[in-house]
Amino acid sequence: MVNVSLKRVRAIFVKDYKEFSRNYAISIMLICPIVLALLIRGIDSSLPLASVAATFANVLNISFLLMTCFAQACLIAEEKERNTLRSLRMTPATTLDILIGKSALVFVMSAIVLAAAALIFGYKPGNIAVFVIVIILSLILYIALGTICGLFSKTLLEASLSILPVCLLFTAAPWGALLEDEYPVFRVLDYMPSSQLVHALRLDDTGFTMGDVWKPLLLIFIWTVGLTAAAVMGYQRQLKNE
Amino acid sequence: MHFEPTYENGELVLPKIEFDVIPHQAIGIITDLKRKQLLMNQLADRSQYHLFYAQQNEYSWLTVKELIVFLIQVTERNESVDRLLDYFALKEEQKTKIKNLSPSKRMYVTLLRIFFAHQPVVVLEEPYLYLEEQDRRQFKRVLDDLLPGKQVLILTSNLEDALISCDSVYRLNERGFQRLDIRDTEEEPRNVQKQDEVNITLQKISTKRKDKVILFDPPEIDYIESVEGSILVHVSGEEYTCALTLTELEQRLANFGFYRCHRSYIVNLQKVREIITWTKNSYSLRLDSGQDAGVSLSRSKLQELKSLLRI
Repeated sequence: MVNVSLKRVRAIFVKDYKEFSRNYAISIMLICPIVLALLIRGIDSSLPLASVAATFANVLNISFLLMTCFAQACLIAEEKERNTLRSLRMTPATTLDILIGKSALVFVMSAIVLAAAALIFGYKPGNIAVFVIVIILSLILYIALGTICGLFSKTLLEASLSILPVCLLFTAAPWGALLEDEYPVFRVLDYMPSSQLVHALRLDDTGFTMGDVWKPLLLIFIWTVGLTAAAVMGYQRQLKNE
Repeated sequence: MHFEPTYENGELVLPKIEFDVIPHQAIGIITDLKRKQLLMNQLADRSQYHLFYAQQNEYSWLTVKELIVFLIQVTERNESVDRLLDYFALKEEQKTKIKNLSPSKRMYVTLLRIFFAHQPVVVLEEPYLYLEEQDRRQFKRVLDDLLPGKQVLILTSNLEDALISCDSVYRLNERGFQRLDIRDTEEEPRNVQKQDEVNITLQKISTKRKDKVILFDPPEIDYIESVEGSILVHVSGEEYTCALTLTELEQRLANFGFYRCHRSYIVNLQKVREIITWTKNSYSLRLDSGQDAGVSLSRSKLQELKSLLRI
């Protein structure tokens, strides 16, 4: 569990990269952010949430779910479906080797695609450091979420379906939060990481204080830590069940 | 090796099992699906046992060579890929994706994971079930080469499969855990007395089952085996115990086309469908009885049998 071998992580990374790139049914999801960016770039900015930054934040939210989370869930579920996860654990590879190897692949792919989407969309972050930190935290968060979805499903098909409710909850949260005047319950949605991402990116447009930055960063950080811990625990529970 | 007893609904499904582990020897256990799972569940310690399940699949999008490279790297071995591909006889297939291999080859490639096992004990469930003849031989060779360093346990429901690479075979069923006598018996003195007078008046073989006496016509019988001192008469997949010894039965049945093909087997030659050669020294007979019955054949008896069958 504790010792991580770079050699084993790299072997898993390379293996997953080859599998992922050849399985077009899954890797097609990589173009999703780019298509979204192309479609929405000329949007009418009179709608609520429709400043360039907020719109891009929503593109990011959808991409995180449909690409990052989906890819990770599929990678895990596919291994479960073929029983290779079980045999992988017969090798010296530890839990962390396996999780890091898989997550690193999804992380790198997502980062590259999202950078391309940002270029196409024409989004320029006001504060690069805040932007990068928020993106990195969110990527880890959604990878953990994908891992949990993957662990709960037995087959690839189940995994792609289990993503749907999660997708709805997370991408719709910033919009739902707008209704808080009518339905006070929806105020909770403002604490979702996707809503906080919108806040974090919107800050960059105008002047902001340190306090404004800390709140979304802290909330996203708490989500990241919580979901990552849940994913690792879920994986180990799986280990015991088999 | 040792297994704890398991009860299900108050009934004993798995007795307490203990057997000696002889180094460099593969052990086979013939049993059913449920008991296979119960046995494997007791071997959950990942640092001791490398379990290979029958439902194991492989990374289907990788090519054979990429898979071997991955297995070498993930187990941190210092082997050369090309040498291993040579050894596994996979040179021709090395650029084929695993999903495009034939089912038998795909299973063979999947089975190769046990070559990379770092645990001292390797447990295989039905390794030979999906393999074709050539891949069986290949895999038997790989398994045999593994034996000096590892202990191998094979769980199967088929006696023939166990005979391919096991030196001692046990049978586990509702009657308990017994060792099967599969040793070859060349060195044993053969004291078969020639009997000229054959009793043709007595034709029925009397057997017992659940306190009933059942009589069989010799042509009905598929084969007769001796398991731990008791004689079992196999008739269309069912077993019946018989009070006579194998030698007595051999004499009685000689005129009905029965043949003592092994120290612990008498077979009805009319029902033999196939002679299977596993290695230079191990043979078995497949019967015609509808069931997947296999009977071992001593090497010393092969020539005699061939002349009896005029082949």
